[in-house]
Amino acid sequence: MESTEADNLSFVLNAIQDVSFQPRPVPKSLGDHEVLVEVKKTGICGSDVHFYKHGRIGPLVVEKPMVLGHESSGIISQVGTKVTHLKPGDRVALEPGAVCNLCHECKIGKYELCGNIQFAATPPQDGTLGRYYRLPAGVSYRVPDSMTLEDAAMIEPLSVAVHAVANIGDFRATQTIAVWGAGPVGLLCMAVAKALGAARVIAIDIVPSRLEFAKNYAATDVFLPPPTNPNESGMEYSKRCADTMMTEFGLQERGGANVVDVVVDASGAEPSIQTALHVVKVGGTFVQLGMGTADIQIPMTLMLIKEVTIKGSFRYGPGDYPFAISLVSQGKVDLRPLVTHRFPFGQAIEAFKATQAGKSEDGKPVIKAIISGPDVSPDDHM
Amino acid sequence: MYDVVPLVQTAMSDNPSFVLRGIEDVVYENRPIPDITDTEVLVEVKKTGICGSDVHYLTHGRIGDFVVTGPMVLGHESAGVVSKVGSKVKHLKAGDRVAMEPGATCGSCEFCKSGRYQLCEDIIFAATPPYDGTLARYYRIPGHVTYKLPANLTLEDGALMEPLSVGVHSVATLAQLKTGQTIAIWGAGPVGILCMAVAKALGASRIVAVDINQARLDFAKSYVATDIFSPPALDPNESTVEYSKRTAEALKQALGIEDRGPTAIDVVIEASGAEVSIQTALFVVKTGGTYVQVGMGVAEVVVPITMLMVKELKVKGSFRYGPGDYKLAIQLAAQGKIDLKPLVTHRFAFKDAVNAFKVTRTGKSEDGKGVIKAIISGPDVSVDDIN
Repeated sequence: MESTEADNLSFVLNAIQDVSFQPRPVPKSLGDHEVLVEVKKTGICGSDVHFYKHGRIGPLVVEKPMVLGHESSGIISQVGTKVTHLKPGDRVALEPGAVCNLCHECKIGKYELCGNIQFAATPPQDGTLGRYYRLPAGVSYRVPDSMTLEDAAMIEPLSVAVHAVANIGDFRATQTIAVWGAGPVGLLCMAVAKALGAARVIAIDIVPSRLEFAKNYAATDVFLPPPTNPNESGMEYSKRCADTMMTEFGLQERGGANVVDVVVDASGAEPSIQTALHVVKVGGTFVQLGMGTADIQIPMTLMLIKEVTIKGSFRYGPGDYPFAISLVSQGKVDLRPLVTHRFPFGQAIEAFKATQAGKSEDGKPVIKAIISGPDVSPDDHM
Repeated sequence: MYDVVPLVQTAMSDNPSFVLRGIEDVVYENRPIPDITDTEVLVEVKKTGICGSDVHYLTHGRIGDFVVTGPMVLGHESAGVVSKVGSKVKHLKAGDRVAMEPGATCGSCEFCKSGRYQLCEDIIFAATPPYDGTLARYYRIPGHVTYKLPANLTLEDGALMEPLSVGVHSVATLAQLKTGQTIAIWGAGPVGILCMAVAKALGASRIVAVDINQARLDFAKSYVATDIFSPPALDPNESTVEYSKRTAEALKQALGIEDRGPTAIDVVIEASGAEVSIQTALFVVKTGGTYVQVGMGVAEVVVPITMLMVKELKVKGSFRYGPGDYKLAIQLAAQGKIDLKPLVTHRFAFKDAVNAFKVTRTGKSEDGKGVIKAIISGPDVSVDDIN
C-alpha cells in the first residue's frame, strides 16, 4: 500500500464488517505531556473482532468511522514540551487509555474505572492501527533492547493478566491457581501465576489443542471437561465437572496444600464460572476476567457459606504495565510462543478474520495475530 | 399442630430443653446438665431470639447439607447469667450477665489461625445439626466467646447481639463501610434492619432500605433508614434481569443516585436472598463498589456477570460472624449508637416457645402485629423481666 510519512494511513471501521484504509490527518498539536508514536506492531483481540462483527460491545456503539486496534507498540516520533523521560527514537509499549486524573476513581488508584477515559478503539476514540498515535507520555513505556516491539505490543494483554492475577487476585508464591479458558488472556494469566511462583497452574478448556499448548507453555496441569449429559441441568453438569476435576488432581475445598486459592474465569462461559465457584477453596478468590454471556446463573448460597470473594477485573490500572514489562525483561514471562500469525499493514483484515475463526486459512490455530505498521515487514520483529 | 408435652414446674437442678424431633415435631425434654471443661462456662439461658434459620429447621428438618438426624435442642441467639466457670476462665464469674456467641471453634485449623474462624470446619454451632442449641435451662460454652454485658444493656439486648453481630460482620468487617459512605440494603427483616443500624452507628451518610413489604419499609424509615424504596410490580413480559435493571433505574432516579461521584452508593448489602433483589443491588452499587451477600434464599441465581466485571465490583459472601464482631456489636449498643429495644416485638414464656416459631414463620402474630424479633424467656423467667 502506497503511503508517505506525511499521511497517517489508518485502518478504519466504517460500519459492521466494512473496513477500509484511509489517510487521516497526522495529529498536529501535541499536549505538553503527550507523545506522538509511530506505531510498529499491533495485536488483535476478541474485542477488536467483536466491534468489527457487531459494531458495538454492549452500550458502546460505533456511531462514526473509527480507527481500530489498541494492543500496540512503536517508536517515539515527537514529545511534548514537558516530557522528560522519553525522546524521539525510543522504543515504547503503549497503554491505550488516557484518563482524567481528577475524578474519584483516578485519585484512589483505580484509573481503569475513570468515567472520562479515552480508550483506543472504544467509540468514539480512534484506535492505534494508523501510522501515528498520540497519547499521554505517562502511559508510554520504554522497553529494554532485550524486548522486541512484538513483545512490547503483547504487553497490553499481559497487563490484563497482571491486573487480574497479581493485582485483583492478589496471587502469591506457592499458591495454586486454576484458569478457565486457554485463549491468549487465559494463557497469559497462567504465565503471570507461574512467574509469581505458583505451586500449581491448572488450565481448563474445551479445545484439546489449546490445553496441549497450555501444558507446554505455563500450566502444570490441564483439564478437559467431560461431555455434557442431556439429562442434567447446567448446574449439575458444572458440579460434576468440579468433582471430576478435583478428584483427578487431588484437590479439596479446605486443607492447606491441596486447595485452589484463586480461580480466574477467562472464558465468559456459564459452565466455567459455575465450576470455578465449586472448585475454589473456602474463603478463596474468584476473578471474573472473561466477557461472554452477560447474565449467568451462579450458586449464590454456596458462595456465601464458603465466604468466597468474587471480583471483577477490567483492563489494567496503576502499576500493571510496568509490572508486566518487568516480568518480560527479567525473563519471567516469555511472550514469543504466543505470536502465531503476522500480517503486513495492507492485510490487516486477515488478522481479524483469523482471530475470529480461531485459525488461519491453512488451519493453523491462532493465539495472537500481529499486524505490522505501514512500511514495516512482518518478518522484522523490531 | 405440635405434639408438645406440657411443661411441669421444675427445680433448678434439672435442664428442661426445647427439642426438635423431626419436621414440625417439637417436645420438651429434661436433658442432663452439661459438665464444663476448665476453659468453658455454664450459662443459665435467660433470653433467646428466634430467626429464619431456626424456623427452617422446624419446617424442613434441614438447611442444605445440614440435616437433623436425631433429636436436637433448638435456639442459638441467647443471653443469660453465668452459673459456673471453668478454672481457667478469668474474665467471668458466677452471676455475670452475658451475651453468648454460639460457636465453639477448634482454634488450630488454618481458618481459626488466620482470623476467619467462622469458616472452621469443626465448629460446634448451637442448633446446627448434630449439635444442641441454647433453648434449655443451661448451655455450655467456651469462655472466650462469652461476653459480659455492660450494665446499661438488658438480657434481651444480649440475645440480640447474635443477629447484630451478623450485621457487624457484613457491614463493618466485610464491606468495611466508612463514615460518610452511602449504603443500600435489600430486605428489611431483622438482619437487614440490623445492618442498617450498624451502618448508621458507623456514620453512613445515607442508608437506603428496599423491601416489598410497606410495613417493613415504614419501620425502617422510623428506625434508621434515611430513604426507603418499594420496587415496582413485576411485568410478566419481561425477564427477571430486565425487571431488575428497570427497578435499579427507578430507584436511582427516585433517589438521585448515580453510578459514580458523590451520589453513588458505595456499599450494598443483600439481606433477602431473593433473585431480583440480588440483581437490582448489583445494578445499583457504584462502579468499583462492594456488594455483600448475607441473605440466604434461592441457592442458584442469575447474575449480570459482565456488568460485575466491567464495574470491577467486589462481591463477598457473609457467613455468621468472626473475631471481633461480637465485641464491636456490644460496644455499638453499649455506647448508645444502636438501640435494640424497638426490634423486640414479641415475647413468649419458655412453655410457649413454639409460638415464637409460629409468629416468626408467618411474620405476624394473630393480632396482626408484625414480627421483627420474637424472644423466648428461659425456664422460670418472666417474659416481662428483660434485665
